[in-house]
Amino acid sequence: MADVPMTSEAVAVPRERGRTTSSTFIRVFRYTAIRLLALVISVVFGVYLTILVANMGGAVDDIRRGQIREGVAMMLSMDPDLRQLSRAERDVLAAEYIAIAEARFGLDQPFIVRSFRFLQNALTLDLGRAEHLTSDSGSRQVRQIILERLPPTLVLFATANLFLFFFSVTLALFLSRRYGTFLDRMVIAFSPASSAPSWFYGLFLILFFAAMWGVLPYGGMVSAPPPAQTSAYLLDLARHMVLPVSAMVLSGIFASTYSWRTFFLIYSSEDYVEMAKAKGLASRDIERHYILRPTLPTIITSFALMLISMWTGAIILETVFNWPGLGRLFFSAINLYDTPVIVGETVVYAYLLALTVFMLDFVYVLVDPRVKIGGKGGA
Amino acid sequence: MSKSKWSLFVILLIAIGLMVAACDTAAPETIQEIVEREVTVEVEVPVEVEVPVEVEVPVEVEVEREVVVERAIPRTFPPVGAWPDSIVVFEEPSADAAVSRMETGEIDLYAFAVGNVDVYDQVRESANLDYYRSFGSYNELSFNPSGPEFGEGQLNPFSVAAIREAMNYLVDREFIVQELMGGMGAPRWFAFNNASNDYALLADVARALEFEYSYNPELAEEIISAEMEELGATLENGVWTYNGEPVDIIVLIRTEDERREIGDYVASQLEDIGFTTTRDYRTGAEASPIWIQGEPTEGLFHIYTGGWITTAVPRNLAGNFAFFYTDMGLAFPLWQAYENDPAFYDLAARLDESDFTTIEERTQMMTEALELSMQDSVRLWLADRASITPRRVEVEVAADLYGAVSGSWLWPFTIRREGELGGTINIAMPSMLPEPWNPLNGSNWIYDMMLIRSTGEMATLPDPFTGLAWPQRLERAEVLILEGLPVASTHDWVDLDFADEIVVPDDAWVDWDAEEQRFLTAAEVYTETETVNRLSTVYYPEDMFETVMWHDGSPMSIGDFLMAMILQFDRAKEASPYYDASAVPAFNSFMAAFRGVRIVSENPLVIETYSNLYQLDAEQSITTWFPYYAQGQGAWHTLALGLMGEENGDFAFSSAKATEADTEWLGYVTGPSIPVLADNLAEAAADGWVPYANTFSEFVSEDEIAARYENLDVWYERFGHFWIGTGAFYLERAFPIERTVLLQRNPLFPDPSDKWDRFAEAAIAVVDLDGPARVTRGQEATFDIYVTFDDEPYAAEDIADVKFLVFDATGELAFVEEATLVEDGLWQATLTANMTQQLPAGSNRIEAVVVSNLVALPSFDAVSFVTE
Repeated sequence: MADVPMTSEAVAVPRERGRTTSSTFIRVFRYTAIRLLALVISVVFGVYLTILVANMGGAVDDIRRGQIREGVAMMLSMDPDLRQLSRAERDVLAAEYIAIAEARFGLDQPFIVRSFRFLQNALTLDLGRAEHLTSDSGSRQVRQIILERLPPTLVLFATANLFLFFFSVTLALFLSRRYGTFLDRMVIAFSPASSAPSWFYGLFLILFFAAMWGVLPYGGMVSAPPPAQTSAYLLDLARHMVLPVSAMVLSGIFASTYSWRTFFLIYSSEDYVEMAKAKGLASRDIERHYILRPTLPTIITSFALMLISMWTGAIILETVFNWPGLGRLFFSAINLYDTPVIVGETVVYAYLLALTVFMLDFVYVLVDPRVKIGGKGGA
Repeated sequence: MSKSKWSLFVILLIAIGLMVAACDTAAPETIQEIVEREVTVEVEVPVEVEVPVEVEVPVEVEVEREVVVERAIPRTFPPVGAWPDSIVVFEEPSADAAVSRMETGEIDLYAFAVGNVDVYDQVRESANLDYYRSFGSYNELSFNPSGPEFGEGQLNPFSVAAIREAMNYLVDREFIVQELMGGMGAPRWFAFNNASNDYALLADVARALEFEYSYNPELAEEIISAEMEELGATLENGVWTYNGEPVDIIVLIRTEDERREIGDYVASQLEDIGFTTTRDYRTGAEASPIWIQGEPTEGLFHIYTGGWITTAVPRNLAGNFAFFYTDMGLAFPLWQAYENDPAFYDLAARLDESDFTTIEERTQMMTEALELSMQDSVRLWLADRASITPRRVEVEVAADLYGAVSGSWLWPFTIRREGELGGTINIAMPSMLPEPWNPLNGSNWIYDMMLIRSTGEMATLPDPFTGLAWPQRLERAEVLILEGLPVASTHDWVDLDFADEIVVPDDAWVDWDAEEQRFLTAAEVYTETETVNRLSTVYYPEDMFETVMWHDGSPMSIGDFLMAMILQFDRAKEASPYYDASAVPAFNSFMAAFRGVRIVSENPLVIETYSNLYQLDAEQSITTWFPYYAQGQGAWHTLALGLMGEENGDFAFSSAKATEADTEWLGYVTGPSIPVLADNLAEAAADGWVPYANTFSEFVSEDEIAARYENLDVWYERFGHFWIGTGAFYLERAFPIERTVLLQRNPLFPDPSDKWDRFAEAAIAVVDLDGPARVTRGQEATFDIYVTFDDEPYAAEDIADVKFLVFDATGELAFVEEATLVEDGLWQATLTANMTQQLPAGSNRIEAVVVSNLVALPSFDAVSFVTE
């Protein structure tokens, strides 16, 4: 909330209509321009930093050179025909293989030159070609690699996160009106359970529901072979989603509910809420108009950030459930030092984050009349 | 509708939309109706087969004589083709989960060489599960030999050969195998794999050396102390110092596997005798710039915990001395720092260049080299790592001694559920489909290759237990070797002969003109008469072009062989439209030995190959030209579509060229190449297009061209991909996102199902040595050597050698003798009165070494006896 450009200007000063419109336009334009510039600088900086980190400041080049040589050594040690070559022929062969592989990785150019080319490509969303990974269908295009992994990640994380978000907000609102009840105390008591990550719950769920009782699959997205009909496929997919979604929900539900409930409690004790109660307004109306309405910017911010967080997937959870999502892809890319894929995932996330932050500024204005773009305390 | 209901509706809509989006790329197409199409092909001998109800028939081909070729064959007795009807392969990254799923019958076989001891125990304890044991990787310590001082003046003790040799005594290999590797391995002392032809050949010598270099830390400390003092180091307060500084040993430790524990163990052993150590833990990627790329003189490491891989039973390891111990191995800094005893260097060079004339001479040289390599010890071999491939007890398959099931060539022909013909077998593997499949330069991922092998076949297939080739499509072969070269044959399908001179005939094809698209003959290229070391002649069966069918129903033809020959040359020629720079190194190494090929007869197909390359086994010295490429089998017509796309810049066969051209990497199964291949098919079929038309048209008729494309079109319509072979299974469908592959039994496969069943289990001999506990010196003593397999006597004809070694009470090797055959499964070791007289009083040890013809893994047993 601290960096959100909100400002409350309860006292409006009457001005001439034309002059007001003009000044509003200038204010919004100036704010938008500055905001965009700041976001662009942030994105450029963030992406270049990612490029440097992913390449370990150029040290990955040494790793690649070493790996190439190790691969050639292994190849020459294993192939009986190559072992029959003379020493000179073997040396020439090894040198040729090394030169070809180094050229393929662009190691014939200094890292600093390549780093700016990476940056240019990334900023123009030319995600380029992966160095090791291929898409599931066999393409080396990073765009294709990411796009193919996106749907499995979205379907799993959207289901879990949307459920988690709306259920916890609803439950929290309910509990905020029933402070101190058994259910409220139970949620508080269970909230430390969220300190365990979702994959931790996943392991237990697999143990019970797959290994011991055999009622749900261990993992994967669908059965093997995948059902031929779409309806059967969807049902099978849903069956395979039960455990990972449950793991995510179990991991997040208590802390999330507790957090929202505390948040709502603060607003529930505001004077205007007490006034509403005193006026005898219905409990439902109080929730909607006196508690939810002023908290909408926070809820929307949380919701928007939750939505874009889906982009990254979850490395360990996807690994535990053998789910072919972006998290595992990212993990593979890191292990293989596949810089284009790492940068590709990061740059898209950076753009999504920047866009979300930018859009939220305008959404706040729509949902909260107290907020004015470019006002005091804003950009 | 209220706002809340609208909200709920929108949320549901989003969720459903996301689910549908997830299914979009993955949702399988509904299986289309059985395709029946008539096409005309130029094949004179038709095949007619009935169609079973349970197997859908993809193609029906009509040839000129109106004979129908169906793709399905009824399951009759004796059975033909693969045992099961189908195989479902899917991904299961966790070995623990895989074993649990095997218990419930969900998985029949886990195609992964598991090295985890807990999983091993779980499998052993289960009544439902069994396993295949295999080797593959092996661990060693690579010493930095630079010095005795590094650039900064630090002492490097391992620059001294005697200290390296003494490390053999300091390291307890049994401890490493039993404690650090949980029993999943076998101790190893030499550059030879324990399961190899050469180890078996030298088993008695090896055992003696192993005994000599067994764990003896006191001796190690004694030798190392003497050498350290010689170097000018002093032991101060139990710590070795040099120029006033402690002698610090940097142990570069790999962290991915048991080498982490091994590195810690070695460091601890060094600390125990007064060294300080720095344990530099790194992954393979992090370590490679240091050990293989870095300058040894910089002293970035003293010891590296290395590891290597063997994927097939090695037949000739004579070159390992040069490769692993000398600067002849690789032109990398570490290798170039090796300095050897001249005698060892010379011996290693001669063995590497096969500079010997008889096997006996080679054996003698190897014996000497083994001893010298232990004295050099720039590498300290520690253990052959063992793994298991878990399976359900009722499932059988030929597992390779090295490659296990995932590396086995015979798995598709032998996999079966006991007592079952037909049915489905479920195989899980840790990962699959990471890269596109294409026969020339596609995925070489080990698990993909397992699947790829099931859809294809080679002219010969390697024996999973000895590595020797057996004919799959060949009828027979002749190998003519230059007189004086040490080549021998084992199997009777190869006729080996020798000649004083082998001349390349003028009409042999020796090179390829990529511009004119024709072969160049010896008469055009060679200015003088060209002679070679080896001529191999392969004879294919008379009916091969009638009985061997591609999965799309097209009979195999000489065009497939011709394509293999052309592609051997063309893609490495700059003038070719299909030039690929990454193909040049392999081509150059091929041309270093190749001198010519000649098609002697087109049908039956007979091909001569002239080359200077030969192996010690005649079976391994054969060039078949069978259309099986580096990454799978390829029919000429499917390859043609790929070549067309590569020429158009739509994709490239190799990843390197695809990167260079910024295009896609060709895949015949899924991905962006498929629609392009489909377009190419339509275009090629319409135009009757073939690549290399200048040469191709001499061998392939227009009718065959039309029929091939027609069949492939039908295939594509039905299965949606272009991956075909002549193997025991065909690829019905691959689900890359779901990581699942469906393989169906190839109903056109002509071989009997039990053709390779004799390789279902490795006949590893079990040796039991029995004899008197007390022997009176000067009196004869006899020990019985029982050799069995599956509790049955081992046939004497399958045993290559039975020897016994006697170590006397001082630990010295006293005798090495041949055992005497009594009957199948029983040999006797006789210690004559003269021999026992020579043994000092005390506890002696007799060890039997049994070498089988069927498995390249010798067996041992030993007992102690007291002489008095």
